[in-house]
Amino acid sequence: MEEARFNIPASGYLEALQRNKVDYFVTVPDWVQLALHTRIEQGVEGIKLIPCCNEDQAVCVSAGLRIAGKNPIVVVQNQGIYGCINSIRGVGLDASLPIVFMVGQFGREFANFGKNPALSRRNTVRYLEPVLDAMSVRFWRLEEETDLRNIDDAFNYSLDTKRPVALLVGAPTGWN
Amino acid sequence: MKILNACEIIGRVRGDAVLIATMGSMVAFDKLGAQQPRLSSVPLMGGAPSLGLGIALAKPKCKVVVVDGDASLLLQLGGLVTVAAQQPRNFFHFVIHNGTQFTGLSNLPVPGAQRVDFAGLAQAAGYAKVLKFSDQQIFENAIEDILADTGPIMIELMIEPDEPTFTSLNPQKDWTDLQFTRMGDESRRLAGWLQSN
Repeated sequence: MEEARFNIPASGYLEALQRNKVDYFVTVPDWVQLALHTRIEQGVEGIKLIPCCNEDQAVCVSAGLRIAGKNPIVVVQNQGIYGCINSIRGVGLDASLPIVFMVGQFGREFANFGKNPALSRRNTVRYLEPVLDAMSVRFWRLEEETDLRNIDDAFNYSLDTKRPVALLVGAPTGWN
Repeated sequence: MKILNACEIIGRVRGDAVLIATMGSMVAFDKLGAQQPRLSSVPLMGGAPSLGLGIALAKPKCKVVVVDGDASLLLQLGGLVTVAAQQPRNFFHFVIHNGTQFTGLSNLPVPGAQRVDFAGLAQAAGYAKVLKFSDQQIFENAIEDILADTGPIMIELMIEPDEPTFTSLNPQKDWTDLQFTRMGDESRRLAGWLQSN
């Protein structure tokens, strides 16, 4: 299938998280990232899983971990970003605490993979980047395996500037 | 029991526990001169327990005392489950149950305030222990044992709200920038404190 090249392997994501010394995986699970969730659920040495009941809590748990010297990632889907805008404003922007999100583009048409999400027919997909832009939250698209290097850039930028950042997972993570 | 009395008791006994306060309790701890280690969830109603959970998980030897508000907790009731799922042994969650929002300003009623049982909700969520106090002396007698116990513990405090003060002759005044910068300033100070303790 043509779209298979957009399914970046979960193992590649995991390698990138480990390379960036992620120690906590704080999440409200995401359909797009199910393969990665499954890998983490199976247990990964050095990465603790913290499931939260909503994304506000995930943002604040991440902030608490960060204050205490840890290096969490927050894994959610696009709807979750819409749901926790005020928490991003509070702890990410006002309090200048680094938050690194991986955000699944839930609802994205497979035909849109590799194309501009602004062309999606679905609001949940096409409004994500404009909303992040409106909040001055820098984001990177993860569309193909070579984009995994963006995870390194996002961590570096977030830690250097003490700002929230988002990595947009464009297609279901591969089960390999 | 008044909020200032309740917070004075908590502040006197907390020792070097990290204090996470929000809304009315933050103001009370300011009046009491509470110092580091502390963090204010402001302006961010509902954020205190999850901020505290992150710190508690990262620093299991450090006690974390969250002093939440009733309206704040209602915004994030699912957070009780998020906390309970982790069973942080060093996590102590106080709730100021005064039944009002903007307490001491205009005292608007909190939804369901006369019926809601926060201790019961926490118990159902899976907290290790839940307690409820309305008598100041009984609370004062119990708090040392509570903080020596194993969390997560919810302590619901039934508080008499302060009288409202906003009127046509005394309306709202502009906020100082501190309200919007203090969480960041305090988080940086707290991070330094945690690193050296």
